[in-house]
Amino acid sequence: MAAEASTLSEQYLLKGKEEKTDVVSKPVEVKAEEKLVTAVSEEAMEKAEETPQLVAEEKTEDTPAAEESTEAPTTDESSSEDAPAAAEETNEGAEENSGEEAAEEKQGIKLETAPADYRFPTTNQTRHCFTRYIEYHRCVAAKGEGASECDKFAKYYRSLCPSEWVERWNEQRANGTFPGPL
Amino acid sequence: MMQGIMDLHHDIFFFLILILVFVLWILVGALWHFHYKKNPIPQRIVHGTTIEILWTIFPSLILMFIAIPSFALLYAMDEVVVDPAITMKAIGHQWYWTYEYSDYNSSDEESLTFDSYMIPEDDLELGQLRLLEVDNRLVVPANSHLRLLVTSADVLHSWAVPSLGVKCDAVPGRLNQISILVQREGVYYGQCSEICGTNHAFMPIVVEALSLKDYCDWVDSHQF
Repeated sequence: MAAEASTLSEQYLLKGKEEKTDVVSKPVEVKAEEKLVTAVSEEAMEKAEETPQLVAEEKTEDTPAAEESTEAPTTDESSSEDAPAAAEETNEGAEENSGEEAAEEKQGIKLETAPADYRFPTTNQTRHCFTRYIEYHRCVAAKGEGASECDKFAKYYRSLCPSEWVERWNEQRANGTFPGPL
Repeated sequence: MMQGIMDLHHDIFFFLILILVFVLWILVGALWHFHYKKNPIPQRIVHGTTIEILWTIFPSLILMFIAIPSFALLYAMDEVVVDPAITMKAIGHQWYWTYEYSDYNSSDEESLTFDSYMIPEDDLELGQLRLLEVDNRLVVPANSHLRLLVTSADVLHSWAVPSLGVKCDAVPGRLNQISILVQREGVYYGQCSEICGTNHAFMPIVVEALSLKDYCDWVDSHQF
C-alpha cells in the first residue's frame, strides 16, 4: 500500500537504488571473504575451512536476489523482447503487480484469472475455453457436484468463455445435445 | 507491445536516414560534377561488375538487418508468456461492443457485463470527442498484464486501439486473444476496423486505464 502512495517516478527511483546496492555489495563481500581465505596462513586452516562455508552460505543468500533479476526478463518476452529499455519498466510493473495483488485480496475482489496454457499458445483461444468447460464438467462427473477441486476449472472457463457460449452449452447439456466429450 | 513497435520504428528509421543521406549525396554529387558546363563530353561507361555486385549485396544486407528486429517483434507479439492478471472479453455486435469481466464470478450468470455504445453527436458534452466517445468505457488497470479475448456475436468486427498497438479481428465462433500492457493511466480511443455494416463507423472503442486500486474500486462498485 505504501508503494501506491508514492508516484511512479519515486517507485522507479527506489527500485533502481535497491538493485544497484545489491549488485555492488555482492562482489565486494565475496572478494573480502576470498582475501581473508588467502591471507590467513596454515595456522588458521580451521578458520579457513569455516570461511568457505560462510562464502557458500552468503552466496546462497544472495542467489534469491539474483534469481529475481534473472527471472523478470524471461517473463516479459512478449512485451519487450527487443526493447531492453522497456524491459526494466515492465519488470517493475510486474513487481508492483505482485505487491499490489496481495493488497487486493483485502478488498472484495481477487485479481486472478486463467493462466496462460501451453496447450494453447496461439492467438486462437477458442479451444482453450471449450477445453476448460469440458474439464470442469468431467471433473464434476468424476468427483461429484460441488467438489472443491473443480472450482478452479469453473473459474477458468468463466474467465475464458463468453457468457453467451456458456449459456448455450448449458442448454445443450440439459438437452443432451452437447457436442463435446463429457 | 506498443513499446516494441516504437523501438522497431526507431531502428528502421536509423537505416532510412542513412539511405536517404547516401542517395541524396550521390544524386546531388552527380548533378554537380556532371553538369554539362563542367563536363561537356559525357562518358560512355555502360557496365561495371564491381559496382553492380556492391549495389546488390549492400541493400540485401540492409534488408537483413531490418528483418531481424522485425521478425523478433512479430513473433513476440503473438506469444503469450506471462500469466495475465485479468481476462476481459470484447464481443462485437451490430453496432456496439459488449465487455465482460468474468474473473470475479461465482456462477455462470452473475458477471460484470455491459454494452458500450457511441454517444450521439447531440448528447456530447463540451470537450468530448465526436464519434469516439462511448457511454461505458472498458476500464483496465495500468501496468498490469491483461488478456483480452475478442469475439463477435454476428458479423466480422475488429477491435483496435492504435495507442496500445493492438488490432484484433472479432470473428463469430472464435476467440482471439491479445495481450495488452497499458504503460500509463489515461484514456485511449479506437474504432471498429472491419467493415461490419451501416453503423461500422459508429462503434468506437474507449479504454480507460486506471491505477490498480481505482480499478478494484470500479469493479467493486459495478459488480451486481
